Amino acid sequence: MPFIEAKDISFSYSNGTEVIKEAGVSIENGEFTGLIGPNGSGKTTIGKLLCGILMPDKGNIFLDKEEISNLELCQIGQVIGYLFQNPDTQIFNVIVKKELSFILELKGFKKSFIDYQTEKMLNLFKLSNLRDSYTFNLSYGEKKRLAIASILINKPKFLILDEPTTGLDIKSKKMLSNILKKLLDRGIGMLVMGHDEDFIKEMAGRTIKIREGRIIG
Amino acid sequence: MIPVTIKNLVFSYPQGRNNILDNVNMKISGGGISAITGTSGSGKTTLCYCICGIIPHIYSGKISGEVLLFGKPIKDMDLAKIATKIGIVFQEPDTQLFSPTVEDEVAFGPENLCLSRDEIGKRIKSSLNIVGMENKRYEHTSHLSGGEKQLIAIASVLALDPRILILDEVMSGIDKAGRMRIKQAILNLKDSGRSIMLVTHDMDDLDIADSMFELKDGKLLSLAYK
Amino acid sequence: MDKYKIDARAKLIITLCLSSIAVFIQNVYVLGFTLVAAILIAMLLGAKLLLVLKSFKKMWFIFAIIVIAQSIFTNAGANLITIGNFSFLSTGGLVKGLEFVLRLAVIVISATIITTSSHREIVQGLIQLKVPYEVAFMVLVAIRFLPIFMGEFRDTVTAIQLRGVDIKRIAFKKKLKMYYYIFNPILINSIKKAHKLSVAMEMRAFRAYPKRTSYLVLKMSLRDYFVILSSVFFTVALIVAYYLFLRGGCFESIINYRA
Repeated sequence: MPFIEAKDISFSYSNGTEVIKEAGVSIENGEFTGLIGPNGSGKTTIGKLLCGILMPDKGNIFLDKEEISNLELCQIGQVIGYLFQNPDTQIFNVIVKKELSFILELKGFKKSFIDYQTEKMLNLFKLSNLRDSYTFNLSYGEKKRLAIASILINKPKFLILDEPTTGLDIKSKKMLSNILKKLLDRGIGMLVMGHDEDFIKEMAGRTIKIREGRIIG
Repeated sequence: MIPVTIKNLVFSYPQGRNNILDNVNMKISGGGISAITGTSGSGKTTLCYCICGIIPHIYSGKISGEVLLFGKPIKDMDLAKIATKIGIVFQEPDTQLFSPTVEDEVAFGPENLCLSRDEIGKRIKSSLNIVGMENKRYEHTSHLSGGEKQLIAIASVLALDPRILILDEVMSGIDKAGRMRIKQAILNLKDSGRSIMLVTHDMDDLDIADSMFELKDGKLLSLAYK
Repeated sequence: MDKYKIDARAKLIITLCLSSIAVFIQNVYVLGFTLVAAILIAMLLGAKLLLVLKSFKKMWFIFAIIVIAQSIFTNAGANLITIGNFSFLSTGGLVKGLEFVLRLAVIVISATIITTSSHREIVQGLIQLKVPYEVAFMVLVAIRFLPIFMGEFRDTVTAIQLRGVDIKRIAFKKKLKMYYYIFNPILINSIKKAHKLSVAMEMRAFRAYPKRTSYLVLKMSLRDYFVILSSVFFTVALIVAYYLFLRGGCFESIINYRA
């Protein structure tokens, strides 16, 4: 059985508009999967359904063989890291290095361990020279990197990234794709939603196309 | 008269140590599309703010040199006056659209200018026509796609009838179909005789530009003229 | 259903009248009658009542609590269930509970009457009722941005849970810290949004002059005047009559007589 499997899922907004229509997706861990479609085609909704943020009206979703509705968000978070489209909604601290360490502090890890992990992430994401900066002064690209870094510090097995390249210039895009490739080498699979086909081509993985709430290939 | 003249512009933000704009000289002549590229953090947005008066009227900082709008220093004009000569559209549509329907959104500017209702009606019609959104006039702005929202943001600025339009990363985060429509709208604007300053980091957007500049470490380099 | 179109101002006034009746009158019959009237008016104006009625399902619980509390703490009416000396359920309690539910229902349903107009019409109604433009505009912006903020708030709370924080079972001391973390992005985002919004507005000549024109102008027809006058007249008459003649309530007097 694949790592994430969705069978005939449908989803409607509370106003009744059906945004996902009997979609089926199966994703293996350890590889790169791109989910491409125009704005408003239901990419974000699929992503939120696959990690249990939203619940489908019809159909079932299995995460690592477990029916997703039986899992709590905090349990899913141990397995999947999810990057929201807008980095501003998921940066909880005003200082960069605090943003990386706070979640480990909340979970009660030892200080030496936390410091070690924080340094590792700062280096991997090329944020070392910004460690004491204010998070709200970062550029958009830096914020996205910080958000992914602070998700990764949790050691998820799989990543779902919602439009990670939107608003990034060529340099930042290149930096991001290098980081993602490193993660793939370490065996962390990922699902990337976007309409940036060049980026998804560069990552050279499987692509799923979505249009008006239906998977078309 | 030359619409925009920038002479030896140097600018730094109050907290910033280095100059974000370093001796920029530029002219935007009547008509045509001038594109400005540069990586993020190169000062593109700051330059836009200087040209349309957001600096020094809303944001302040250390500024020297001159920005002239139709021969007059922009720092001596008030924002409402500037708004009728130069318009700016920003990257995020959601913080530019605040009205329930498209019609209300486009009417907002002319209403502030105390124009007559007839004139406002005409401006709504012609602005929506240029961006190709007449059929969405009575729609709710929140129901539009990202690309359509940007088209409405352009139309709303256009309703003030400015001669110059600054488009600051308006196509970022918009899908292919939406980009095509925005580019078409920009070409229509050029045909209407307006000057457009297109700010972007995406090389794919540059095919419609007549002249190109690059901002690098606060310095403006002229790249090419068609 | 919305062939009965009336001015947004008329709707504002109907809503105001219905909710003042609900607030000032403590009589089940009058409240019941007002509820029926509110439902009829809302239906005539094309309000989406079904959604509202669905949300009333959850009201049974509140109704039960109020009935029991009123039965225990007030001595009105005949006791229906007693445990020892304790009145557990009484007719007085039932009546009070019913009153509360009716009152709430009237207020909620009368509010749906306003929603049959677009926000823009309501705000224009407020402006033409001489509410200052800045105030009316703030209402408009609040309505527009509320869903966006709600969505972002939801994302923030979800994001912290997906980082493995169990927000339901976290220790109290850490819970306070967690609230601080959740509060951060919300505060920073709202300040940023407000700032960007105000720049965008200023660049579109907001407050260029002390006055501004309005492309949308609401015109009241004879029917609107009739609706406004009759609802105001009816409401005032009802409240005055209630306080002069019905106070104490016929229902209560019957109960008291029996007791």
